[in-house]
Amino acid sequence: MSLVVGVDIGNSTTEACAADVGADGEVTYLSAALGRTTGVKGTTANVPGVVEVVARALAAAGRDPADVQAVLVNEATPVISGLAMETITETVITESTMIGHNPDTPGGVGLGVGTTVAFAGLPDCAPGDAVICVADADVDFEDVAAGINAAIARGVRVTGAVVQADDATLIANRLREPVPVVDEVTLVHRVPLGMPAAVEVAEPGRTIRTLSNSYGIATVFGLDPEQTRMIAPVARALVGNRSAVVVRTPSGDVTGRRIPAGALTLIGERAKRSVEMDAGALEIMETWRRVRPLVDADGEPGTHVGGMLARVRGTMAELTAMPRDAVRIQDVLAVDTFVPQRVTGGLAGEFALENAVALAAMVRTSKGPMELLAARLREALGTDVLIGGVEADMALLGALTTPGTARPMAILDLGGGSTDAAVADAGVAEGAQVRSVHLAGAGDLVTSLIDSELGLDSTDLAEEIKKFPLAKVESFFHIRMEDGTVRFFDEALPAEAFARVVVLTDAGMRPIRTGHGVERIRQVRRSAKQRVFVTNALRALEQVAPGGNIRQLGFVVVLGGAALDFEIPDMIAEAVSEFGIVSGTGNVRGCEGPRNAVATGLVAGHASARAAHAEVRCG
Amino acid sequence: MAGVIRSDGVGVGSGGVVRTRPEVPEGVVRIRPEVVVLCRPDPRNRRCLRELGAGMEEEGVPFRVEDATEDGTELEVGDGADDGTDHGVGHGADDGAGHGTGGGAVELAFAAAQASHLDVGVGVDATGNVCVHHAKLPPDAPALSGTASDARVMGHNAARLVVGVPFKGTPAPLDEWKEGP
Repeated sequence: MSLVVGVDIGNSTTEACAADVGADGEVTYLSAALGRTTGVKGTTANVPGVVEVVARALAAAGRDPADVQAVLVNEATPVISGLAMETITETVITESTMIGHNPDTPGGVGLGVGTTVAFAGLPDCAPGDAVICVADADVDFEDVAAGINAAIARGVRVTGAVVQADDATLIANRLREPVPVVDEVTLVHRVPLGMPAAVEVAEPGRTIRTLSNSYGIATVFGLDPEQTRMIAPVARALVGNRSAVVVRTPSGDVTGRRIPAGALTLIGERAKRSVEMDAGALEIMETWRRVRPLVDADGEPGTHVGGMLARVRGTMAELTAMPRDAVRIQDVLAVDTFVPQRVTGGLAGEFALENAVALAAMVRTSKGPMELLAARLREALGTDVLIGGVEADMALLGALTTPGTARPMAILDLGGGSTDAAVADAGVAEGAQVRSVHLAGAGDLVTSLIDSELGLDSTDLAEEIKKFPLAKVESFFHIRMEDGTVRFFDEALPAEAFARVVVLTDAGMRPIRTGHGVERIRQVRRSAKQRVFVTNALRALEQVAPGGNIRQLGFVVVLGGAALDFEIPDMIAEAVSEFGIVSGTGNVRGCEGPRNAVATGLVAGHASARAAHAEVRCG
Repeated sequence: MAGVIRSDGVGVGSGGVVRTRPEVPEGVVRIRPEVVVLCRPDPRNRRCLRELGAGMEEEGVPFRVEDATEDGTELEVGDGADDGTDHGVGHGADDGAGHGTGGGAVELAFAAAQASHLDVGVGVDATGNVCVHHAKLPPDAPALSGTASDARVMGHNAARLVVGVPFKGTPAPLDEWKEGP
């Protein structure tokens, strides 16, 4: 019997598996351990992480480090991915023309059209004038109401009001003839005065009908077709609001323009094709399909996509200390997304959802300095260090310890930076082929999609939303989970969580300070996972499957951090179910779940090599 | 003054809601769903009450204001028709200095929450400290507390506690202020 430790150095975690291996190849697994990878995978910076994990695995097995015969490490090829996101549309409002925000409590109901007039100027209006009153926060709501009432009594037709403070309902309640009032307009002093304007407030539970319709705006202001074309983006930006204000300024110009995002050139082994970024993710991936296998990718210099790929290349070059032009992009994943962007020229901090394309790129660098790493590990551990087989082969061997699996089997390793797949044909032990692919786009891309689509501006929070289920705090003592079940608490929940959507993290509840409801956040989260993991799972299996036919695979085992996710394995199982194959989350050695596959595979590979060796000697 | 601390305008406002002001015959006990505001009768609280009321009215939540006696309980209300119109001001001016034990904003708020059919109460003590409480919370752990200058926001938040909307602004941490001075 000899004590060996298999060590898998991954992009983010280092895993170890300690085992006793008999001369006949019989393996007794003792323990497993997991820690963070120190430094970039496959470099000497990994040593401290490996040493720690090995020590932990041995401690868990209750064995003396001095007894270790060999430490087995995988041949780690650094696979690094980069991300970039660019908007391809933009709403620009020159000469401030619209207030499209959604205050919680606008006042009054209906549509009012008139000329904008400052509150102080109301007494100067002539009877019969149709005006919209604009008041800042310095004026008390009672004074505003009294002023409007007085003006109406004189015969001035005050048809609506725009106010800065949160008091639209208060004002509307005090008017003899209620008119629509829009409040919480932060930049009220920038509302142009003396201009035709329209104020619309919908009934509670409804959305505006006139100002969210291009022809509605055209009717109100009597616009010609050309002007209507110019105003169309305003209407689009106001869709779904309960209240809105549109001011028509003579030189006012709102344009929704497409940013020239540039062309992406995909260079395959046999073909080379360009595709415009603003064609969208679907078109880009279709182009990729035509040129694959990809050798490199390039962006048009001076455009967004050029900048995106230059950034990815720069990061890669920095991480791997390679010259920039030696970095080859070997896979890209484009995903359609949308980004809430502050509308240039808006008056109340309005946001418009702009279309964007997120691009993940993957670089497989030259083989890392494995010999050097092994030598350093030898020094640090004082034992023999053997560089084991290729990572994908080892992962397959480890995955095969999952109960109920058999060849031909494929593994899907869903990590943080890349999605990897490998397939073992029947009888791999006799030297049959193992095919593997590394694809760009995984957990990190999901996190950044969630972050940008919800406008969170916090990677940490996006990460938590990705990992944990949501709930709504419905009272101080109970929450409703996203699936509708209710959970009660003995202690009162904190006031800052009241009525908010929270993420139920391991460390407790974390309120999400956005206006998004549970449904919306859940939908963004699930669709981000669909767009990245399900797309990539199918893309990966397609590439490794014999003849590109997923049906030829017998078993698919899902491994890696994402396999521990509470919904991703189900999504993948659902997506591959149509191919009539068995798919599920791995359970390495029947006890480790989707973890420890490579480390276990290293030990298993070592054991069978030993057994073969022993046989040769005997025979 | 009348009409300021009254919530009767509510329901007219943001449209759709029917004006709910039935003429209740004398002597019939009203069980209107309202946020109850219990206030130390002190003229200095006039502004504070107005702001509180404005906050709740803006959110569209009905409320009524009642005077608090020295021991922190509400006055005999039994006022049928004229509830919530003219309380809280103009009388009891001598009360300001010496309210008894248990007469702080927290206690007032808790008593108000117990009296409210919406389980939400607001307490205002003689110095203008404001506290928002919920009947189901422990008596000494109010939902929110603040000073007279926060009254508008506190009014909004008392209403939001009823409606189930996240609170406005960032309320002062609860342990910073517990009792009236």
